[in-house]
Amino acid sequence: MSFRAAFSRTGLRAWQVVLTAVAVVVGFVFSVQSRTEQSIEAGLQSSSGRLGEVAYRYRAEDERQATMRQEIIDLRGQIAAEEQRAASEQRVTASLTHELDELRAEAGLTELRGPGVVVTVTDSRRPLRPGEDPNLVLIHYSDVRAVVNMLWAAGAEAIAVNDERIVSTTGLSCVGTTILCNTRRMAPPYRVVAIGNPDALLAAAQARGGILAQLRAFEFPVTVTAGTDLDVPAYSGGFVYRYAKPVVEP
Amino acid sequence: MWLPILGLLAGLALGLLVSVQVPLTYVKYSAIAILASVDTILGGIRAQFERRFDLTVFLSGFVVNTIFAAALTALGDLLGLDIYLGAVIAFSIRIFNNIGFIRRDLLGLLWRGRPPGVEEPG
Repeated sequence: MSFRAAFSRTGLRAWQVVLTAVAVVVGFVFSVQSRTEQSIEAGLQSSSGRLGEVAYRYRAEDERQATMRQEIIDLRGQIAAEEQRAASEQRVTASLTHELDELRAEAGLTELRGPGVVVTVTDSRRPLRPGEDPNLVLIHYSDVRAVVNMLWAAGAEAIAVNDERIVSTTGLSCVGTTILCNTRRMAPPYRVVAIGNPDALLAAAQARGGILAQLRAFEFPVTVTAGTDLDVPAYSGGFVYRYAKPVVEP
Repeated sequence: MWLPILGLLAGLALGLLVSVQVPLTYVKYSAIAILASVDTILGGIRAQFERRFDLTVFLSGFVVNTIFAAALTALGDLLGLDIYLGAVIAFSIRIFNNIGFIRRDLLGLLWRGRPPGVEEPG
């Protein structure tokens, strides 16, 4: 009871002091609470009563983000795989392009240049004696074909007659007084350009009993010159296969 | 009479000055506790007017009401049930009641010179 005695001496009553203390506590807690609430609303755009909901949404978003991250990783892996595939496809394409280039060259669709020989043959300038067959002084398609075949046999890689490329479908034939090569008519002199090993080609051209020797024997003017930088033009005609079809191996 | 109000203002000022925040987990509980304590204080004021204020009843009411309100909210959270709504409604009704009685006591005291605690109509 000394407490109460002390209080009564100060003129204050016990209830006033207790109430004041409680009021201080309540005021303090109230302002702290309101400030907390304000910071929550400022930070989350939601009242504290919906914190549970916010937490739920946060967890849901967190999970979604995790799955999305996993998705990103998966997609990156797919991109890498696709890139690898594209790269290998590119390699395949490159090798196919290379192969195509080689095949084009072999088919005669490209202009080629290299060392080789030039064989020129022309009609004989020997005057015909009476009663003699004029065929004796003319170069026939068979002569040109023989020259070409001789050069092929000697290892020529590309041959052109009067700038007309000899390809796999080329046939030399006789059309009146001219020679038909591919689709072009030719008149003498016939200039056969062959690219290949010049020594081998020269050796074949000068072989004894060869076609050039035979022509010389009939007094046809024949020249054979080796060159280091000969041009063989590209085949300008078309390949039409209307009946022949490639056999596809099963 | 003015001392508790001064104390309330001092507490508010202190709360604004001190940078303490309620942990986010307990924000809901402390809000209910504040409501309970406000109700208790109003009850105490009313009891004072009616001259039946008991310090022990007041203090125990303050402590028990506050803690019980917070505990009830926590229980509601555990059960997934919004029990705190019940506490909010109960305390709000009591606060309005107490304010009504305080108003009548004040009116009787100040204007009609009648001693508080005497029931009057309206």
